[in-house]
Amino acid sequence: MAGNKRIMKELAEVRTNPPPGCTVTLADENDMGTWDAVMDGPPDSPYTGGHYKIQITLPKEYPFKPPQLSFKTKIYHPNVSNDDRGAMCLGMLRPDEWKPPNKIADVLRLVRSVLAAPQPDDAVEQGIADQFKNDRKSFDKVAKEWVGRYAK
Amino acid sequence: MRRLEARRQMEEANFLSSKARSQNLNPPIDLRMLDYVTAYDDNLMCPICRCPFLDPVVLAECDHCFCRDCIRQTWASTYSPLGPRGDCPSCRTPAKLGPRSATSKILVNITDDLLVRCPKSEDGCKAQVKRGEVQDHVNIYCGYAYMECTADDCELHVLRKDAAEGCLHFGVSCLDCRQSMQKASLETHWRVQCPDRKVSCELCKEAVFNREWDTHSRETCPAISIPCPGKVFGCNSRSKRSQADVHAKSCTFAKLTPMLTAMQQRMDEQEAAQKVMVRKLEVLEGGFQAVQTILSTKQEDPDQVGADESRIPLLTGRPHQRGDSGGMLDAMVVETDVGAFVFPPPSSSSRPSSELVHVRAGASLPPLYSAPMAPGPRPADLPEPFTMDFDMASPFPPPAANGPYISPLHHLLSMHESLRDEMSRMSAALQELDGRQSMQALNENLRTREEISYMAAQVAGLSRQVHWLTSAQLQRQQHGGAGRQAAGAAGPSGSDIAGAGAGVEAAVSTAASALRGAARIVNAGQGMTMRRGLSEEGRTKL
Repeated sequence: MAGNKRIMKELAEVRTNPPPGCTVTLADENDMGTWDAVMDGPPDSPYTGGHYKIQITLPKEYPFKPPQLSFKTKIYHPNVSNDDRGAMCLGMLRPDEWKPPNKIADVLRLVRSVLAAPQPDDAVEQGIADQFKNDRKSFDKVAKEWVGRYAK
Repeated sequence: MRRLEARRQMEEANFLSSKARSQNLNPPIDLRMLDYVTAYDDNLMCPICRCPFLDPVVLAECDHCFCRDCIRQTWASTYSPLGPRGDCPSCRTPAKLGPRSATSKILVNITDDLLVRCPKSEDGCKAQVKRGEVQDHVNIYCGYAYMECTADDCELHVLRKDAAEGCLHFGVSCLDCRQSMQKASLETHWRVQCPDRKVSCELCKEAVFNREWDTHSRETCPAISIPCPGKVFGCNSRSKRSQADVHAKSCTFAKLTPMLTAMQQRMDEQEAAQKVMVRKLEVLEGGFQAVQTILSTKQEDPDQVGADESRIPLLTGRPHQRGDSGGMLDAMVVETDVGAFVFPPPSSSSRPSSELVHVRAGASLPPLYSAPMAPGPRPADLPEPFTMDFDMASPFPPPAANGPYISPLHHLLSMHESLRDEMSRMSAALQELDGRQSMQALNENLRTREEISYMAAQVAGLSRQVHWLTSAQLQRQQHGGAGRQAAGAAGPSGSDIAGAGAGVEAAVSTAASALRGAARIVNAGQGMTMRRGLSEEGRTKL
């Protein structure tokens, strides 16, 4: 119950004062547990101009358990798995790293900063991470292509 | 007596249960779900539940403050018998809850003094009370909390404000919708449930049917302010619905909105269509490129076809050495490869550029593919400008259309290749067999020859001995002529010896001739092996 109240508060907060480049809606007005966020690609990154749909699933035990993020829009990024799940590797979201005081808005801010600056040493997609480290130009090129193909 | 006892017990139980029910009528309030009237500082908020602190505790190790319930729940997974302990949710310092964790009274007072709306506000209670007193308000004062009916014989519940009116638990029927219910619940029914009751809109003061309430508030209430229709195109003004028309007449955005929407729609459509076209174009370009690559491999200059052999994937890395047995065969194979890779055009006249290849293919193919019919002519025996109608000689079916023949061609080529591999394997096996056979024969031969020569030497020694003996005997006979005559008794014995000597000589010569015969036979055997080897070689060649 307390979690539900907190979710409502957070939702109101995110709606009135959203993190930069993000808009958040409820996937289903009757279900507070699933949020849909649309994040714009951060400027000065290959993802500029793309709009990424991210689904945030809040567990029943939220805020004592971390929320789960999945990219519904395909993105060419070393920290986002390149499959249907689009799982993102964020240290903050690991069960042992998660802290109840963290807010969804903080998570979204972190996601955006990871989009702006990928962390190849903490990668999900090793191939993309290697390309990012060794051949930044072609990485940027493919990432831009994917923006045009999937994230418009 | 016993009956009285039982009855007393039953009454007691009833009394207890009704008491318990009255306590359950107004369950303890979840203070986190309250609606706070006073704005409160973020610093008064628990970082976990984001509400003003409820029974706050301070962790002695790091001075961070949380609600007691929140921190206990956070640490629920890290249970320890020594009391709640774990990492601070804010800074991860290992901490525990101790008897001295409670915060100073001042924080408790500040949070408990925040004004909240009564939890029954939805039912109609307008009271705003301090948070610390809200439970008392509901339990004792709130007119919209339930209590037991004051009538002695009624066990139902009634709102506190109606309690003074006596027992209201009798049936009435709603004047508007004719539904029957108890008097006590009539008010709630009127307020929210009755579809035919009119309620007055707070904004426009108009009486609206309950059932139309949703549409009224959303669409028709003239007092609700709505955004300008041109909002999406930049007009930020909001006006009451009743004055929306006035605004729309003066607003440029509103005037342009229909056109702009139409244009937007068209643009979207066109973009969607364009996306499809781009996809199509990509596919077509890919197909075109594939066709081009096929054509470019097919239209190689025919003189270079032989040189390009290594570029064809099927042939790369195939060893051309097949031992000494098939020099000619090898030449033929290479020739055939070239022919096989250039698929014949449907009619020789349609593509004069491949005429030469065509001819070559025609020249080299028949011996390979007409293998069953007798030993065919070797390609070297054929005259160089050998021309024949390819379609007749070729084992390939004539191609149906001028398309890329990639798949049937590849199929045939792979079959061809596997057959060739099989053949090379077989020829190698045959050669090995042949070699083993001839080696065996040679070994046996050698042994036999050695034996023969040994026997021949023995025979020669024997014959020399016999010769010597005979000559000695002859000398003795010559000497003994006088002796015989002198001593006639010795005569028969001397002739006996001579006869024996001649017999031995004859036997030796027979043995020698037999040996010679054996040698001849052995030689003949060797010759036969040789012949067999040759015939096998011939077969390998075939």
